[in-house]
Amino acid sequence: MTHDLRVRFEDMGRKLAEKPHLKRLGALFSETVLIEIDGNEYYLAFHRGDLERVTEGPSRQTPWRFAIRTDAEALDKFWQPIPEPSFHDIFGFVKTGRGRIEGDILVLVKNLRFFKEFMALGRPEEAAA
Amino acid sequence: MSAQPAYEPIIGRYVTIEVQGRSYRVFVEEAGQGQPVICFHTAGADSRQWRHIMNDAELTANYRFIAPDMPWHGKSLPPEGFEEEEYLLTTEVYVETVLKLVEALALENPIYAGCSMGGRIALQLALNNPEPFKGFIAIEASDFQPAWYDIDWFHRPDAHGGEMGAALVSANIAPQGPKAERWNTQWMFMQSGPGVFRGDLNFYTKDDSLVGKLGGIDTSEKPVHIMVGTYDMTCTPEDAKRTADQIPGATLAVMEGIGHFPMSENPATFRPHFVEALAKMG
Repeated sequence: MTHDLRVRFEDMGRKLAEKPHLKRLGALFSETVLIEIDGNEYYLAFHRGDLERVTEGPSRQTPWRFAIRTDAEALDKFWQPIPEPSFHDIFGFVKTGRGRIEGDILVLVKNLRFFKEFMALGRPEEAAA
Repeated sequence: MSAQPAYEPIIGRYVTIEVQGRSYRVFVEEAGQGQPVICFHTAGADSRQWRHIMNDAELTANYRFIAPDMPWHGKSLPPEGFEEEEYLLTTEVYVETVLKLVEALALENPIYAGCSMGGRIALQLALNNPEPFKGFIAIEASDFQPAWYDIDWFHRPDAHGGEMGAALVSANIAPQGPKAERWNTQWMFMQSGPGVFRGDLNFYTKDDSLVGKLGGIDTSEKPVHIMVGTYDMTCTPEDAKRTADQIPGATLAVMEGIGHFPMSENPATFRPHFVEALAKMG
């Protein structure tokens, strides 16, 4: 499961590179984001809107700007073509108590469209936007 | 026969009203004939949210829809001196704005329809100022919604509040809507004036003056119909039900596959629910 998710995030990174509008929206986004699923850590290092690498944890030494923590079932629901209510948006994890968003939230909010559209790249292609 | 312009039936005009001693030039769109329905938009947006209803020939055959841009929104100007002012909407200003518009536009017995903060004001009017109205359609409306976000995110010198606001409110848009309309809905937030969404949210997320008072609404002559979308994370179906349950005689419609901006994000899904709502107004 942990390896599968890393591969999935890397695949999303490849899709990201094929989206010129996301390249433009993410031009100022060079941050590391921690995504924690059922306690398994994935450090996603972005540079100017590109996903440069995905590193699996655990790590107490990798700095990150903000983190999204949720569970595999919630993430799977989020990645459905038509997610059910509250699983259609990353803030739904927080609103329903299925996850937490932590760290420098303002950086997330300043890059919110970019990051939401990146996370949606885990959905089937036709549902991503 | 000479060629006719291919205009939509919606026309736009301006009216000047005075609210709490200040003058506001307000833009108003209108379409149709018959029973007047005055339609109010959500926070951070404008009357374009209502354009699908206003372009619906079957509905405009019997209803005259009037949709203002609230002061500071859309094509309505902010008041003189806005450049040094922190815009913070209040219940008092909002209620007086609605009442002054009804008076200035000479509307007789209009139905009130409003979404989100416009839905909140529907309940305020139903409680405190029902006289001018035939009934109230309160969409994505509840007695009180504390913020699950920091409203100060949306007015900063180092970032575009409109773009951040749109990205936030996309959390309240259902994935089932047509892509073009989901993005048109966000475009209005991207366009809103600096600090306007924040100022609207100041009212929407802090004014709890309806809490505990909804039982005082008399629906015997002025119906109250509440509508809510299943994908609305700001005013959830549970919030709307809690609100409806407190108003004797109020009715509630839960709309599947729709979010916080029903008339704008998914017009086809919204339409039958709105037809039902209009019918409930008598």
